[in-house]
Amino acid sequence: MPLLRRLWWSRDPLSVPDALRRAEERRREGRYAEAGELVARALELDPDNLHAHLLAAYLHAARRAPGPAKAEFQWVLNHDHTHARALLGLARIALEEGDVTACHDLLRRALRFYPDFPEATALLAAVRARRAEAPPAPHPSAPHAPAHPRVDRLHLPGTGRALIIGRADGGLIASQPVTEDAKDVAEALAHMLHLAAGALERAGLGPLHRAIVDDGHDAVFTRTDGELVVSLALPRATDPTQGLLDVNRLWSATLHELGLAGGTPAIAPPATPVNPPAASDSTGAPHAPQARARAR
Amino acid sequence: MRLKLALEHDSASRGRHVRDIVQELKRLHWVRGALIVAPDGFVIAAELPPTIAVDSLAALAATLGRELETSAARLGRPSVSTALFSADDGTMFLAGSRIGYLIVLADQQVNVQAIRGALADAVALIEAAWSPGEVTP
Repeated sequence: MPLLRRLWWSRDPLSVPDALRRAEERRREGRYAEAGELVARALELDPDNLHAHLLAAYLHAARRAPGPAKAEFQWVLNHDHTHARALLGLARIALEEGDVTACHDLLRRALRFYPDFPEATALLAAVRARRAEAPPAPHPSAPHAPAHPRVDRLHLPGTGRALIIGRADGGLIASQPVTEDAKDVAEALAHMLHLAAGALERAGLGPLHRAIVDDGHDAVFTRTDGELVVSLALPRATDPTQGLLDVNRLWSATLHELGLAGGTPAIAPPATPVNPPAASDSTGAPHAPQARARAR
Repeated sequence: MRLKLALEHDSASRGRHVRDIVQELKRLHWVRGALIVAPDGFVIAAELPPTIAVDSLAALAATLGRELETSAARLGRPSVSTALFSADDGTMFLAGSRIGYLIVLADQQVNVQAIRGALADAVALIEAAWSPGEVTP
């Protein structure tokens, strides 16, 4: 703790409610470390203060420290086993740790005690959608084997760095290049798309079709219809329209190679080249229903 | 000088600063709404249409933001800077920052590059105003 702040505190004794009120203020301003110090002070004065432990848990989570957050949420739960917010906090950490079953059970417990809990309801819906597909079930028309020789014939664009073709349940159909971690990437991709689809639904934007995820190195362009996932990593500087054109071309070719080019109702049809602006969404790519209508 | 900087970012101005960032994002062309949500799901500031349940969206957006961060770390990838998710009726943008995730909801016609640029500016503003010590222990 900085010396000046320590000196200031020694001249300004805070009550527990004051410390927690100030901590909440700091939290609202994104000043998590200061808020954490105030909560620590409150806990020095009142070690069994449930509100302080809950706030400490939130602040650890906000500082991306799931371990200490988990311990604090658990403390709250040990003192009040019906505490829905502690259950939600633990559920979110379980999901981060990849334990979908624990997350699901914790959310169900929270909703049993407090059925009108929108955050838990929203998260449970997203988790249920993911859980319903586990253990990995093959795409209705997709191959059962982890790799499909015909899909392996797909050609990456010149600047393409990697291609993942998978199912929405996280199962890997094929990858280029073939790497040891391709299965993990397909799983992580599916998990991310499930959460994104849930958020889009809550925002009233409809079903997810495309994603572009940028990191310091690559831009990953993804297309999905809720069952099949085609994801292409390109250099980060790639123009989004070009990247979407490339992933659309691979989407189309994948459907062809998997024998789905005729299109089941759930599969969005091929969309290369990019359609006129009137039929395009914000990414410059066509919407599945419109493209489907054209296909008919 | 350090004291002066500290005074410039007192409680009230810091809170206003966050709200200003969200309001500026909301003013962009074809943008329906914007919010900043902490990694624990707490809504720091939001400007959303009344038809959208803020808490539910924030819970999922924060979980999505954490998933992007943790999966990148798990796979040994650089951390995600921006992500966009496109649907029939619009697009959701997400950018990670020191204090949490910036979310923008936009119409189909939105200029993707313009929003990505605005998000990068917003993240830079946050990085400038919040020192690492204020967020992490």
